[in-house]
Amino acid sequence: MSEAESKMKRRTRHKRWFEFKKPISTPAVFTLGISVWVIFFGLWELSVPMGWVTELLVPGPSKVASALYELFTEKAFLNDVGISVYRIIVSFIGAALVAVPMGILMGSFRTVEAFLNPFVSAWRYLPAPSFIPILLMWFGTGDAPKLALLFIGVVWFMATIIMDHTKNVRTELIETAQTLGANRWQILKSIVIPAVLPDVMIALRQMLAVSWTYLVIAEIVASTNGIGAMMMRAKRFIHTDEIIAGIIVIGVLGLLFDYLFRVIHRLMFPYLEDHGR
Amino acid sequence: MNPADKIKLSVHQVGKSFRLRDGSMIDAVSDTSFSVLENEFCVLLGPSGCGKSTVLRMIAGLEEPDSGILSLDGHEIFAADRERGMVFQNYTSFDWLTVKQNVEYGMKLNGVPGRERSERADEFIDLVKLSKFKDAYPKQLSGGMKQRVAIARTLANEPALLLMDEPFGALDAETRWNMQELMISIVETTQTTVVMVTHDIEEALYLGDHIVFFSSHPGTVFEDSRPAFKAGKRFLLKEDAVSLDGYADAERHIMRLMREQGADYLTKDDN
Repeated sequence: MSEAESKMKRRTRHKRWFEFKKPISTPAVFTLGISVWVIFFGLWELSVPMGWVTELLVPGPSKVASALYELFTEKAFLNDVGISVYRIIVSFIGAALVAVPMGILMGSFRTVEAFLNPFVSAWRYLPAPSFIPILLMWFGTGDAPKLALLFIGVVWFMATIIMDHTKNVRTELIETAQTLGANRWQILKSIVIPAVLPDVMIALRQMLAVSWTYLVIAEIVASTNGIGAMMMRAKRFIHTDEIIAGIIVIGVLGLLFDYLFRVIHRLMFPYLEDHGR
Repeated sequence: MNPADKIKLSVHQVGKSFRLRDGSMIDAVSDTSFSVLENEFCVLLGPSGCGKSTVLRMIAGLEEPDSGILSLDGHEIFAADRERGMVFQNYTSFDWLTVKQNVEYGMKLNGVPGRERSERADEFIDLVKLSKFKDAYPKQLSGGMKQRVAIARTLANEPALLLMDEPFGALDAETRWNMQELMISIVETTQTTVVMVTHDIEEALYLGDHIVFFSSHPGTVFEDSRPAFKAGKRFLLKEDAVSLDGYADAERHIMRLMREQGADYLTKDDN
C-alpha cells in the first residue's frame, strides 16, 4: 500500500457498530427492534426440543399462540378480556374524576392542601391489596370489590402527582393574569387548568399501568371472570400455555391503552412538541 | 417638572420588609417616595438587592406595603388589577393559546365584545410587528418575540400604567437593543405611562424620561432625576440618544452611583 493510499484510508471514516450517542438510521432502528424479539422467540421455541426446559412448565411460543387462538375461538376469552377492560375503564374514570379536581385544588390553594394532604398521604401508604379481605366482606364477589380496589389503588397517587404538577405552574403566569384583571375563578379556569392539563394527561397515562397491576391482583385473588381469573383456572388444569397467553394479552392491552393516551395527548395539545415517552 | 403636568402615580413613604428563612426580618424597601407623571417613561434603576422590583410589585398590587401609600390617579392601590398591567422578565406567554389569542386574553376577561377584541388585537400585534405570527403558538417564537407578545397583550388591555420588570433582561444584546427602540415607538404611538425596572444603565438612559435611582439595604430612593441631556425628548434611534452632549456625563454619574451603592451592598452582605 502506498503512502497516499494509507492516508486516504485513514481519512475515510469506516462505520462502527458502537458509537457513543450517535444517531442511527431508521431502518437500523426497526431491524434492531425486531431482532430482539426474533432472538427472544427463537430461543424460547428452541428451548423445548433442546431439552432446556420441561414443556409442561414452559410451552413454546407456537403452543402459546395456538392456545391463544383457542381461547378466543372456543373458550369465550373475549368475555373475560371485555370484563377486565370494563373494570379498568370504569374504576379509572372514577379515580380520575376524584383525583384530578382534588389534585388541582390542592396544588392551587394552600388551605386545601393543608386540609386534604395529610389524609391523602396516609391513604397512599396503605397497600391497596391489604383491603381485599374487607372489600370482599363489604361488597361480595361481584364487580364492586374489584372496582373499589382499583379505585383506592390509584386515586391517592394520582391526586398527589397532580398536586405536584399544579404547584409547578409558574407564578408569573398567574400574576400576569392578575394584572390583566382576572379573578380567582378565571385564573383557575383559564390559566391553571390549561397549564397543568398536559402533565395531568401524562400522569393519568402512567397511573393506568398501576391500574392494570391491581386488576390482575384482584382477579387472581377473588374472581370468577376476567383475564386474571382465566389464568387461575388454567393453573388448576396445568394449562401453562393459557397462562402465558393471558400474560401476553395483558401486555398487548397495556401497550394499546398507552398508545391511545399518546394519541389523545397529541390531539389535545397540538401546541406542544414533546408528548412524553 | 412643570405645574401643568399631571401626577399619574404616587409612591409615598412606602416601606416593606420580608421575613428571612432564619426568622429575622430584612427591610427590602424603606421610606420610598417618588411620583410619575402622565405619559412619562419612568425607569427604576439600582444595584441588585435595592428593592426596585419589590416597589414595582407593590405598584402592580402583587405585594402589599407594610407602610406608606401608593396611588394611581389619586386612588389608593390595593390589589392587582387591569389598570396596572405587568410584563415580567421571564416569558409569560400562555403556551396553549396562539399569539392572537394571547393578545385577546385580557380583553376577553374584561368582556370586550368579539369583533372589537379581534380588531384591537390585530392593531397591537401590528404595533409589535408580529402580524406574520398571529396564528403561531408561543413555543415557535424566539425570546424577543415572546416578550413582544406579552407587551401587546398588556397594552391591548388598555392599562392606565404599563409595568415592566427587567423585560429585556433575558434577551441577547441585539434583540434587547431592537426592543428598546420598539418601546420608544410604542409609547410614542400609544401615549402610555410606563414604569420599568432595570439594572442596565444604557437602557435606563435611553428609555427613561425620568430615572429613579435606588440605593440598597435598605432600598430607598437615592436620586430622582429627569435626564437634562435629552431635554425632554425621545429618540427613535438609540444612537441619536447616545451621541447627545451630556450623555457620557450622565452615564459616568450613574455608573459611579452604581459602584458606590453596589459596593456598599457587598460589604454589608459580607460582614
